[in-house]
Amino acid sequence: MSLKDLISPFYVWQRAFEKPYTQKRPIEDRPGAPRYRGFHMNSEDCIGCGTCESICQNRAIDMVPVEGLEQRPGDSGLRPRFDYGRCCWCALCVDICTTRSLHLSNHYAWVTEDPDAFHFTAGTDPMPWNENSLGYRRDDDYHLLVHDRIEMEMLGPDESVRGFDEVMKGYTEEQAVLEADRCVECGICVATCPAHMSVPDYIRSVRKRDYETGLRLLYETNPFSSTCGRICTHRCETVCVMGYQGDPIAIRFLKRAIVDRVPAERYREILGDDVSDNGRTVGVIGAGPGGMSAAYYLRRLGYGVTVYEAQARAGGMLRYGVPSYRLPDDQLDKDIDYIRSLGVEVRFNTLVGRDVTFQSLLDTHDAVFLAVGLNQPSALRINGEEHPRVLSGLKVLDDVANGLDPGIGRKVAVIGGGNVAMDAARVSRRMGAEVTVLYRRRIEDMPADPDEIHESQAEGCTLVAQAIPVEIKPAASEAQVTIVWGEAEMVADDKGGRPRPVLQEDRMHEETYDCVIAAIGQGGQIDFIPSDYREQIEFKWNKFVPGDYQQTGLAKLFVGGDIANSRADAISAIEDGHHAARGIHRFLGGSADA
Amino acid sequence: MNTVDEILDFAIEREQQAADFYSSLADRAQSAWMKEMLLSFSQEEMRHKGKLKSVKLGDRLLKADQHVQDLKVSDYLVDIEPTADISLQDALIVAMKREKAAYRLYSDMARTIDDPELKQMFLGLAQEEAKHKLYFEVQYDDQIMRDN
Repeated sequence: MSLKDLISPFYVWQRAFEKPYTQKRPIEDRPGAPRYRGFHMNSEDCIGCGTCESICQNRAIDMVPVEGLEQRPGDSGLRPRFDYGRCCWCALCVDICTTRSLHLSNHYAWVTEDPDAFHFTAGTDPMPWNENSLGYRRDDDYHLLVHDRIEMEMLGPDESVRGFDEVMKGYTEEQAVLEADRCVECGICVATCPAHMSVPDYIRSVRKRDYETGLRLLYETNPFSSTCGRICTHRCETVCVMGYQGDPIAIRFLKRAIVDRVPAERYREILGDDVSDNGRTVGVIGAGPGGMSAAYYLRRLGYGVTVYEAQARAGGMLRYGVPSYRLPDDQLDKDIDYIRSLGVEVRFNTLVGRDVTFQSLLDTHDAVFLAVGLNQPSALRINGEEHPRVLSGLKVLDDVANGLDPGIGRKVAVIGGGNVAMDAARVSRRMGAEVTVLYRRRIEDMPADPDEIHESQAEGCTLVAQAIPVEIKPAASEAQVTIVWGEAEMVADDKGGRPRPVLQEDRMHEETYDCVIAAIGQGGQIDFIPSDYREQIEFKWNKFVPGDYQQTGLAKLFVGGDIANSRADAISAIEDGHHAARGIHRFLGGSADA
Repeated sequence: MNTVDEILDFAIEREQQAADFYSSLADRAQSAWMKEMLLSFSQEEMRHKGKLKSVKLGDRLLKADQHVQDLKVSDYLVDIEPTADISLQDALIVAMKREKAAYRLYSDMARTIDDPELKQMFLGLAQEEAKHKLYFEVQYDDQIMRDN
C-alpha cells in the first residue's frame, strides 16, 4: 500500500469545510424559478364556477363552501380546495379558469406538522404564498375556451324597419352546436334564472343534437320556451362565466334552437303529458305568461283549469305588448296552443268584475290564481298631457297587434326607456316615422333589454338621454304637438338606489312632433276584488305581496306575474305560475314536490 | 308665534292635520291598496309628529345643517285634486306637493324672522319637510317612473 493510498480517505475531510452543493431545506430557502408551477393562488375574482374542478384530470380539486362567503347571483359561494396528494401541477386549472382568478405561485416547498395541511383552499386559507407575484399565469394569447359568441343571422336595420318580419333568424343546427360547445356547464346561471331552468343540461342536449331531451328539460320549468327563446330578459347571460373574458353563452338562443327543431305536433308525444282529472278545479285570471304557466302545471297535476281572459286572444303582454318582429304570433301560439291542447279552457273576452264576479270564481273553484299583469299606463302628469296627440305606448302596441293604425304620423317622440318605449319606438320606425326617444336618465340606466336599445339605435331611432319632459303645448297645427323638456343632471342616491335625474331649468328645449308616445311605466288594476277580501291581502305600493308559494292572506287566492313581483318580465311570471301551481297543489292536499 | 314652543306646537299641529288628511282620504279610497298606502302616508306623518314632540321635550335636536337633495320632481307635475279613486301616482304627487308647500312655509318664516333661535327652529323644520319631500320624490321615481 502506498502512502497515497493510506491517506486518501482523509482527503474527504478537506471537502467538509467547502460550501455544499445541496440545500439545507427548510433552514435555508431557495426561491423557485420565476415561472415555476408551485402552489395555487386564487384571487377575489373567483366566482366558484368549478371549471377548474371539472378539468382536473387527477380529481385533485373539490369545490367547497367557505366560511363567511355566501352564495349570491353569479357566485356559487364555493371555492376550489386542492389536494396535493393528487395534484400534478399541470396547470390546466389555471389555463381554463374563466375569471383568470387562479394562478400558480413559484413556491414549491411547504413543511408543516399538520397532516391535514395537504389540503387547502386557495385564496381563502392564509398561506405564505398568497401574495406571490411570480409563478405560472396563463398567457394572454393562450385560450382553452372559445370567447367569441357564434353570431346569429339577423335582418340588417335597413331591411328590418321595412316591416314586421322577425329580426333574429335563429341558429342553424351547426351554429347551435358550436355555440353550445362553448358552455363550460358550470351552472352559475341556474340560480340567476328566475325559473331556475336546467341550463347546462339543455345546452348539452343541443350539443348532442338531442332535441327531444332538450324539450323535456325546458318544459320541466318553462312552458313558454319558444317565446323565451326569443324575448327572455336572459338574466342568466348576465352572470355567465364566459362573459368574464368574452361573450356570454347565447343561452336564450340555444333554448330557441331546441324548440325550433321540434314541430308542435310532436310535443305531446315527447313530453308525455297524458293528464288525468283529479276532480278539482282552479280558476286562473289572466292568460298571460303567468296565468298560462300556472294552467299548464296545474293541468299536468290533474286539475281542471279555466282561464278567464279579458282579451280575444291569449298571451297578455306577450301578445299585445311585444311586437311580432321580436316574437311572431305563430311562435307564441306554439306555446299557448300546446297548453290548451291539454284541456285548459280559456274563456276569452271575459273580464272579471264585468262579465264574471270574483266571488263566483271563489265559489266555483277550489283555488284561484291571479296574474292580471300591469296593463294600466302611468300618466305623464305634466301640463298639457290631455292633448289628443299624446298617445300611450301600450295603446300604440295594442293597436299594432290588432292590425289597427295607431295614427302616429311621421315625426314621433317616445318618452321612456323601458321595453314598451323601445318597442313603441321601433314600431314607429317600421311605420315610417322619424323617432326621438327622450329618457330622464342615462342610456346605461335604461331598463329595456340592451339588445333592444342597440337595435333601436341601429334602426335609426335617436336616443336623447337625461331629458325630462316638463310640459306639453299645442303646436301651430292641430295634427301636431309641442313638448318642452329640460336637461337633467344625475345625482347619486345616498341610500344606494340608482342615480336620480334633477331638472336643470336653465337648459330647456322645445320640439314639435306629430305625436308624443308616453311609455314611462304601468300599474295594475284589481278593483274587481271585493273590499272585504282585499283587507285580507297584503299589498306594498301598487303590488301584491304574496306569501309562500304565491299564496295570499285570502287562502284560496294565489297571485303572480308583474302585479306580484318586482322584476316584471315574462320568465319571472312563468316561474310565479309554476310556483303557485305547486302551492295550490299543496294547499289542496297534494305534495309540494310535484 | 313668539317662542320656540309655539312654533313647535304649530308644526306638530300641521303634522296632525296631514295625518288626518291622509287617513280621511284612506277612508274614502275605493282601492284596497290605495287605502293601505294612504294609511301608511298618515302613519309617516304621525312619525314626523312624534319626532317634533320629542324635540319639544328636549329629547332630540332639530338641526338645519344638512344638505337635502331637491329632485324637483314636484316642480313640473300638475296639481292633483284628491278623490276617492285616487291612484298611487296621484297620491304621491299630492304628498310631494304638500311637503313642498310646508317646506316653503317654514323657509319663508325663517327668512322673515330676526330672532336667531326662532330662525334656526324654522330652518330646522324646513329641512325636515325637505327630507319628507325627498322621500316621496324617491318613491315616485322608483314606483311610478320605473321605465323613465
